[in-house]
Amino acid sequence: MSDPSPPEAKPAPAEPRRSILALTIACVLALVGLAVTVLHLAWPSPLMFTLFMVVGQGSFAAAMAVYLAVILVDLRRRKVL
Amino acid sequence: MNGDDLFSGELENVMRWLSTAGIVFALISAGLIAFFLTRRPGWRMTPPAKWLLLVGFFLLPSTTMLLGNVVGFHRVKTSCAECHVMDPWISDLRDPKSTTLAAKHYQNRWINENPCYTCHTGYGLAGNLEAKWSGLRHVWHYYVAGVPEEIKMKRPLPVKTCLHCHAQAASYLKIEQHVDPEMEPQILSGELSCFECHASPHPRKNR
Repeated sequence: MSDPSPPEAKPAPAEPRRSILALTIACVLALVGLAVTVLHLAWPSPLMFTLFMVVGQGSFAAAMAVYLAVILVDLRRRKVL
Repeated sequence: MNGDDLFSGELENVMRWLSTAGIVFALISAGLIAFFLTRRPGWRMTPPAKWLLLVGFFLLPSTTMLLGNVVGFHRVKTSCAECHVMDPWISDLRDPKSTTLAAKHYQNRWINENPCYTCHTGYGLAGNLEAKWSGLRHVWHYYVAGVPEEIKMKRPLPVKTCLHCHAQAASYLKIEQHVDPEMEPQILSGELSCFECHASPHPRKNR
């Protein structure tokens, strides 16, 4: 008896691995941003404020960009978007 | 520090609370992210992991960054005297014999809070951002590029900086030259600088 339903496509295993790697990178970037922020709040000075503005927020912005990209990829993979 | 100081509404005390909150949020967030990183990769795409990231990666760090900005932008307004290159100008501010406008404003407390920042910034969002960008440039020169022998402003102090406080003051309006039909438009447009008639705001050269 033939199977009337078409064979289901298997999900690509490489994409979740890439997403996990991207999330790992984003987490590391976020930790760098948080570390600089803690230093800025605990030992305020013009130099620490500059490092916070450039390194801290820059690192966190990059982390957020990667995080949002992973979310978008995940939503497209699930055909939500 | 007694109980009254801990919960006073003074701005410095509020900033201390905000700094403490920022540090606590950052440490909690770092702990959650570290927990996420130490889990096996298969768990990291599960719904609990995504909820954890929502809190530990998005909500808490975003709040921390916001608190860092609020506290930082407040503290940077009073940091002008922290660099030794500013010592000659700070000395002039405190010199009771000085006749410069900055010294008079400072010693008479005509500008109660953030006396340097009040004049060396524009007004409105664009002006404040420009002042902050200038501050970053100053830090770059101080720590990396080097401070030039002679420090001077890139462009003359805008007249509107003075007029922001003085324009509607009775003491300003009773001066004939300020309301003269020919001179008033020149003053208001910035064509005629306040310092054409008034004392120099700061000493011209390093002392």
